[in-house]
Amino acid sequence: MQLTSLGLVRGLIGYFAGLVIGMATVVIFRLVLGMPAWDEEAVWVGGIIFAIIGFVLAIGAMSDWLKWTRGIETPMHHGPPADKPAWTRYFAVDYNHKVIGIQYGVTGLLLLIIGGSLALVFRAELADSGISFLQAGTYNTFLSMHGWVALAAILLGVGGMANYLVPLMIGAEDMAFPRLNAFAYWINVPAIITLIISMLYGWDSGWTAYPPLSLRGPVGYQMVFFAIFTIGLSSILGSLNLIVTMLMMRPKGMTLFRMPIFCWAILATSLIQLTATQLIGQAFLMLSFERTLGMPFFNPLYNAAGENIGGQPLLFQHLFWFYSHPAVYIFVLPGLGIISELLPVFARKPLFGYRWIALSSLAIALVGFLVWGHHMFTSGYGEYLRVIFMISTLLVAVPTGVKFFSWLGTLWGGRLSFQTPMLFTLGAISVFLIGGLSGPILATTATDLFLHDTYFVVGHFHATIFGGFVFPFFAAIYYWYPKMTGRMYNETLGKLHFWLMTPGFWLMSLAQMTAGTMGMRRRIADYDPALGVEPVHLLVTIAGFVIAFSILLMIYNLFTSAEIGAIAGNNPWRSRSPEWQIPSPVPEHSYARPISVVGEPYDYGLAGSQYIAMSGAGDD
Amino acid sequence: MLKLPQSSTDRKHFVIVGALVLITTIVLGFFLLAILPVKAQHSVQAEPIRWLFQLHIWLIAFLFSLVSVFMLYSLFVFRKRKGDESEGEHFEGNTALEIAWTVVPLVLVVIFAFIGIQTLRDATAGGDDVRVEAVGFQWSWTFNYPNGVTAAEMVLPVNKPAEISLRATDVIHSFWVAEWGPKQDLVPGMTTRMKITPTKEGEFKIVCAELCGLSHWSMLATVRVVSEDEYIAWMDQKIAEQNLQTASR
Ligand code: HEM
Ligand SMILES: [Cu+2]
Ligand SMILES: [Cu+2]
Repeated sequence: MQLTSLGLVRGLIGYFAGLVIGMATVVIFRLVLGMPAWDEEAVWVGGIIFAIIGFVLAIGAMSDWLKWTRGIETPMHHGPPADKPAWTRYFAVDYNHKVIGIQYGVTGLLLLIIGGSLALVFRAELADSGISFLQAGTYNTFLSMHGWVALAAILLGVGGMANYLVPLMIGAEDMAFPRLNAFAYWINVPAIITLIISMLYGWDSGWTAYPPLSLRGPVGYQMVFFAIFTIGLSSILGSLNLIVTMLMMRPKGMTLFRMPIFCWAILATSLIQLTATQLIGQAFLMLSFERTLGMPFFNPLYNAAGENIGGQPLLFQHLFWFYSHPAVYIFVLPGLGIISELLPVFARKPLFGYRWIALSSLAIALVGFLVWGHHMFTSGYGEYLRVIFMISTLLVAVPTGVKFFSWLGTLWGGRLSFQTPMLFTLGAISVFLIGGLSGPILATTATDLFLHDTYFVVGHFHATIFGGFVFPFFAAIYYWYPKMTGRMYNETLGKLHFWLMTPGFWLMSLAQMTAGTMGMRRRIADYDPALGVEPVHLLVTIAGFVIAFSILLMIYNLFTSAEIGAIAGNNPWRSRSPEWQIPSPVPEHSYARPISVVGEPYDYGLAGSQYIAMSGAGDD
Repeated sequence: MLKLPQSSTDRKHFVIVGALVLITTIVLGFFLLAILPVKAQHSVQAEPIRWLFQLHIWLIAFLFSLVSVFMLYSLFVFRKRKGDESEGEHFEGNTALEIAWTVVPLVLVVIFAFIGIQTLRDATAGGDDVRVEAVGFQWSWTFNYPNGVTAAEMVLPVNKPAEISLRATDVIHSFWVAEWGPKQDLVPGMTTRMKITPTKEGEFKIVCAELCGLSHWSMLATVRVVSEDEYIAWMDQKIAEQNLQTASR
């Protein structure tokens, strides 16, 4: 097999060809305009834009559309490529949502590992005071990269769960727009490459990229701006696809309130992604324009009288958080959906208050749009805004509470069993509880004036993100692993993973919060031993390494079990959900016949009840 | 040995859980207060912050206990026994309960919003008996007094309300003395303000709390809080020094 027959390889060639062409174009353009040929900033911007487009064109993510413009029809191809080994479809443009789901999920996991490794490096540096091996500049780059790589990991992980599961759960053949689906996945890859290249130059503002700082640093910033812009575009297209799929492709009898609850979570998430992502795309483009073309959006400029005739630094913060707060719900709502999805299966009981849980996701999404200013309590914006954003932020606690209480109602009176997916679900609840409860203390402005930009906030958002995304994501991986591969993971290793990671994480977030109240600022390369936080930092570092080790166990488990795991059968969990009624691994065409919904999704323990019927099953 | 009832809605379960929640709330509350020592305690403005922090801790201790005790109790009591293949009890929800756990938190939110507004007012109120300007730049500070005195350290008289006006010349920084409590960003293009009344004499660190580039971590200065007399003496000396320099030029 020739290397270039692999889509990814062609994409990479396209990327670097695009880079060179883009750079050359800028140089020629500048020469024609009579400017000095070389300007690092401008040349790189041209290069990056062409590189991303080059990748997408070369891998063929737009081929069908381009053919359509010339009137050529392109029938949908099903199954692995005819002339290549089956595994190659995972490294090329493929329109099957199950392939795309796994592409998203694996890329997400990979980024999680990269992002985590960056953190381990600077955690090792922070284990004691004094600068030992990471100079401040490198420290800042690693810290900033950790932020965006981890967030990209989450967005892709969410995309993985949504793309794989939603069509299966609603018994659909595929997503509404399979080509758009593949396109939305593949633009992430050049974006991630661009993000990683930014490390060559470095950048030092943290993921928040506040100007004027982000207008001054090295060219690495430009790469971050375009990488995030592109990942954001993927979010928008992916969420559009999911919304249409869920609204238009449900089977007969599946009213919205009879969808598996995970679909509600994805519906709420997609509504946020579709409507908020533009704001960060816009904000980052404006930063890029200001850097490359000198447009004064954010940096103040003074006239002779000393008046500001330039931009406003705070404008950026509003734009940024108008996306980035709702984004935290993009990260966690799908995970909370996983919790709600798995609890009934392992409790053998209906989901308590289905409608309340479904609507609380929408409520969280809605209120989530009104709270962005709680990240700016110390920014110097108007006094009045501090009060408004305090109240709106406190309100988020209400629908979040509804979820917790409904989960308790689901456990109460069940027949609980504790296989690895259930353990991670329960771990998720406990960790998200720590994260959620540390929210209101940041919402009341007075306490936040003290806690803002300290390790307390670091503890808060790691707990929410691990409880709301990482733990449920792992639960989902273990739970649907038999459906994806047809084989069972190793239960002992799974449990070991859980029992290392969960206490490790509790320790880590509590210790971070302790450091915060003791006066430890976030995002600093070194700290004053006089603060007395050294032992606390050592604990955080040790816990971090324990967590990392446990995740390696999972990776090992997933790899080996694909070969030697026990054959899982169609429905090892005795779930009622449609995807468990078909063979494992799921065949190319998931459902041989259309399904219809004849009952409630979670009626465990109700004798004779049925959720779905396979139409025509009796006719054979 | 305590015999647990068969039905999950038996009152006995709730009595046991209620008692456990009460006990864990108290234990957890004290535990959290011990592991979260709030450094802010040496200014008038730190008082409301500490007070509200501790109030939050008790609420957190209660809510954490409520959820985790119910959960752990279920995990233990409602676990599947060996060989038991039966399904759980069939109930799909309870609207009265759902309404209750929507409305009660809503009431709590209203109460906390009210308290939050009060504490915000107290934590940002003060006077301007002493005024000083702090200028932040990559990666240091200077301090200007209205009488023209400029210094590399900040000196303030104890128990006198001070107003610190904050100005950044390059990128955003943030002024923070952890022992005092609140912090305030310095934003290029605007002047921000912070009111503080220090209540304890001594030397404290002024740190930059907003990532501001390469040496952000070492953007430090010292504030000395001294008695009124010492403050006047220091100021006189500074005036003399700086006039001297002007004169000798
Ligand atoms: C739903 C899961 C949540 C996630 C994923 C989450 C995530 C985050 C993140 C990432 C930050 C830090 C951003 C930064 O400065 O870099 C943050 C800060 C904050 N969160 Fe959350 N959060 C969640 C829930 C909550 C809740 C329920 C509340 C309040 C009721 C809350 C209140 C806050 C506040 C006030 C801040 C600003 C703190 C500061 O910077 O001083 N969060 N959160
Ligand atoms: Cu937020
Ligand atoms: Cu600074």
